[in-house]
Amino acid sequence: MTGIAQKLASNQKQVAISEFFEKNKHFLGFDSLARSLITAVKEAVDNALDACEEARILPTIRVVIEKIDTKKDIIKLVVEDNGPGIPQKSIEKVFGQLLFGSRFHAIRQSRGQQGIGITGVVMYCQLTTGRTTHVRSKISGEPTAAVVDIGLDTRKNKATKSNQGREIWYNEDGSAKEHGTEVTAQMKAKYQKGRQSVWQYLRMTSIVNPHAEITFTDPDGEVHHWPRVTERLPTKVEGIKPHPHGIELGQLQRMTSESTDSRLTVFLRMNFSGVSARASKELCVAAEIDEKTKPKSMNPDQIRALLEAFQGERHVNGKPVKLLNPPTNCLSPIEEMLIKKGLSKTIDSRFISTLTRAPAVTQGNPYQVEVGLIFGGNMAADKPVEVLRFANRVPLMYQQGGCLLTKAIESVDWRQYGLDQPGAKGVPKGPAAILVHLASTNVQFTSEAKEALADNGEVIEEARKAMLEMGRGLRKHLEKKKKMAKTKEKFELINDILPAIAEKSAHILGRPVPDLAGSITKIMSAVISETSTTWNKETKQTDVMITLFNYTSRVRAYTILATWPEKAGAEMINNETGGRKEATGVWAWKLPSLEPGERTVITYNLSGLERGDWTETDVFFRGSQDVIGASKMDEKFLEEIRRQERALSDTGNADSTPEEPAEPMGEPTVAPPSGQTTLFGGDV
Amino acid sequence: MTRRHTAEETKQAMHLIVGEMYDRIVKGEPPTMTLPVRTKNNIGFDKKLGVYKYGKKQSIRDATSLGSAKQLLRALHVVEFIEEMLVAGKSSTLREMYYISEAWGLGKFGSQNESNNLAEDLEIVTKCLREDFKLRPEEDGARMIGNLTLRERNRRGEWMRINARDDVGDSGYGVPYNVEAEKIELLENDIDFIMAIETGGMFDRLIENGFDEEYRCGLLHLKGQPARSTRRIMKRMSEEWDLPVVVFLDGDPWSFRIFASIAYGAIKTAHISEYLATPSATYLGITADDIVAYDLPNDDLSKKDIEALNAELSDPRFADGWWQEQINMMLELGKKAEQQSLAKYGLDFVTETYLPEKLAELGLA
Repeated sequence: MTGIAQKLASNQKQVAISEFFEKNKHFLGFDSLARSLITAVKEAVDNALDACEEARILPTIRVVIEKIDTKKDIIKLVVEDNGPGIPQKSIEKVFGQLLFGSRFHAIRQSRGQQGIGITGVVMYCQLTTGRTTHVRSKISGEPTAAVVDIGLDTRKNKATKSNQGREIWYNEDGSAKEHGTEVTAQMKAKYQKGRQSVWQYLRMTSIVNPHAEITFTDPDGEVHHWPRVTERLPTKVEGIKPHPHGIELGQLQRMTSESTDSRLTVFLRMNFSGVSARASKELCVAAEIDEKTKPKSMNPDQIRALLEAFQGERHVNGKPVKLLNPPTNCLSPIEEMLIKKGLSKTIDSRFISTLTRAPAVTQGNPYQVEVGLIFGGNMAADKPVEVLRFANRVPLMYQQGGCLLTKAIESVDWRQYGLDQPGAKGVPKGPAAILVHLASTNVQFTSEAKEALADNGEVIEEARKAMLEMGRGLRKHLEKKKKMAKTKEKFELINDILPAIAEKSAHILGRPVPDLAGSITKIMSAVISETSTTWNKETKQTDVMITLFNYTSRVRAYTILATWPEKAGAEMINNETGGRKEATGVWAWKLPSLEPGERTVITYNLSGLERGDWTETDVFFRGSQDVIGASKMDEKFLEEIRRQERALSDTGNADSTPEEPAEPMGEPTVAPPSGQTTLFGGDV
Repeated sequence: MTRRHTAEETKQAMHLIVGEMYDRIVKGEPPTMTLPVRTKNNIGFDKKLGVYKYGKKQSIRDATSLGSAKQLLRALHVVEFIEEMLVAGKSSTLREMYYISEAWGLGKFGSQNESNNLAEDLEIVTKCLREDFKLRPEEDGARMIGNLTLRERNRRGEWMRINARDDVGDSGYGVPYNVEAEKIELLENDIDFIMAIETGGMFDRLIENGFDEEYRCGLLHLKGQPARSTRRIMKRMSEEWDLPVVVFLDGDPWSFRIFASIAYGAIKTAHISEYLATPSATYLGITADDIVAYDLPNDDLSKKDIEALNAELSDPRFADGWWQEQINMMLELGKKAEQQSLAKYGLDFVTETYLPEKLAELGLA
């Protein structure tokens, strides 16, 4: 993304905004009337979410779209939030300055990495309708809201403001609004329905922002409401300095030229992550540059040599310079439980599986993959599954086929997991939706349109691994469903049908009703487990009961294992059978021998959860004879859990262990090369 | 021939089934019901009877799965229901029994097909007929036209003399579901053969063209796969009047099956083949070679058609050389044709050219 920003900044000075806009509208997101509207909504909503997140406010967002003139395709858009508000004097800066990204001093995961910003919307409105954009914003503590109409002076390439004033802002219910921002814009645009629509954008946004409450009134007056399902705000992310593995020549050139450091080693230590004092010296040796060189005075050949040392192409003692990984605590995953909530409030289903992989690093950039799979319910069974792609919590709605995240889905043979996929190629078919979220400090797109993620072998593999694990979950669920149905049938057989056969035959023959015990053992000839996971309204806990029946003619002994949402912060209480922790989220009970015809019951409660958080407990067994209703413990599954545990504790992200990041954070001496190039050359 | 059973005999036969279930439970085993395998793999030619009958393969339906257990329970309910009818001197249709089963709780039928199949199972195991069980079908009996006379006992118990040419309208004489001696007596005829016809359209065409009189035959509309009573009356006419039976059907794999059930016995009712089948019946057409010889308008065989033909190749009833030839030829052609495709050459072609030529081959015209 830096490439385009720089190109634009350097080349566009003499070009009128309108011409610039016209030329570049395809990657600014304004290339069609339908997409322009989505882009406008996206910019406004992203701003609202970012502002709330930064101010630690649970966002409540209202979007209204009205058709003003159907013949001329004029549409009015209103987006209102309950964010912190914008001080009056900053409004024109926020709305009138064309920035690529809104972050200044650090590389970090943010929504703002994508898109042209709200200024693009102001400009689009001006160009297509000649109208200014009305902004109303109120800060907590001030009695009135600031109002202003923002436009753009296309001759001077500057923002214009008019009708500036202050007013009291009332909510719909007549109460005074505490704080927030409201944007009202009129533009030439088309409202469409379907997979690429404002509705879909908001729906997807709501899935990955379960802490947001979003209301959307469409042009037909229909109100769509996506409620808030968690009070938990996304974790506040730390900014990090760039890592040498992820730097490009142009960036390095700019960083050295702006540097005021007196020595190259200091420059390297202070402005990059992963560079220790030893590594900074080794890099200089590898690049054959004196470590006392002033960065500003480096010539192009030296800069190129330094870059080669960064990339391991120049060696010290025959080896590339060893660099530390960048810290990964700068990422804010949505997290399994919240993805689950987000999905289940939006899509009706029978089964949800979500997974957050441990953070990893590619080309010096930390990233993290999250996936979710939702199955069953009233989704169409004969169509391709719905693919929900996200980068840093922003929905990706176009160019599905060319996206890394889609390719990761397609790389899996879904047939073995119970979905239809002709020839094991392409997106699988079935009543399902697959969510993939990539959180990263540097999202690489295939093009400036920023709708598809560029290929990266490591990221694909990470996403693929996540899919495989989720697929195994789906298969297990389907198998379990089948087994449960079978078990239910067996119980119906011995509890209802067999007694009826005995009675009826005895009655017809005029003989006494025979004893059934022998027949029952022969019919069942199995050990059967039944599990119930139910929400207890009274205690606000999730009650789990696992029952094991021995319907065989021999004594049986098992270890029973069950999954529980340990990572989501649940607590296991009243577990009288005891047992021990097998791995994170897996508990084990070694049971005493079960005599033929006997049963044993394990019960416990899970506290610290909300209703709907935990609805299905997976039960496994270790023992020689199969247990109907439970799966044989797959030791590989445990191994994978433990591997992820290790990966998490290695990155210092393990729950409740606030470790220091991989290296201490100092203030960089040079602004990192990302996200701050203004189009019109500086502040307005 | 399968003989009829008294109420007491029927009850005893049914109690053997109930006893098998009861004794197994007493022994501490899952209850079972043993019955012959009802597939083409378990039918064999009975030289003495001249028809195909079930062989010795038995299948045991045991109560280790819910489906089978429910079948056993249903069988018990049906046995009890039949006993009640025997005592009360009542009878019921299979459909009525299906509705009555609504009150059987866990033993109720899921579909009427289930209740029909179970009635057949009981027939097979007890060697009784469903008439012994006081169960009637509501299957649609055939229509007949021709110069033949029979006597039918009507609802008032009076015998009515009916000539199937002079005493009936264009739709012919309707064959009732019970065509046994207590209901129907075959009196006299002035015809040379009986022609069974698959479709109503062709039946009506032959009537309109006066074929029955010109060629001195009795016409019988099969209505697709013929009902038991249709097959039974054909057999009676063929045996009691010593008349040849020719069968005129569409030219497709399903028609071959219809013919096999008429001439050799149906797989589903192989336990009473000797009572229903007419071994002397001849397949007149449409044959696979007719499609070529008469250049008939045709359709491509569907996947299901091809599957059916391949299944017929290994069906013992089609083991003889002529049938193997016909089936292979149809597979090679990849084509099938309807009876009414003969209309390509005009409405009279079937009666003036096709049938006379085919009957001449058999020496009937």
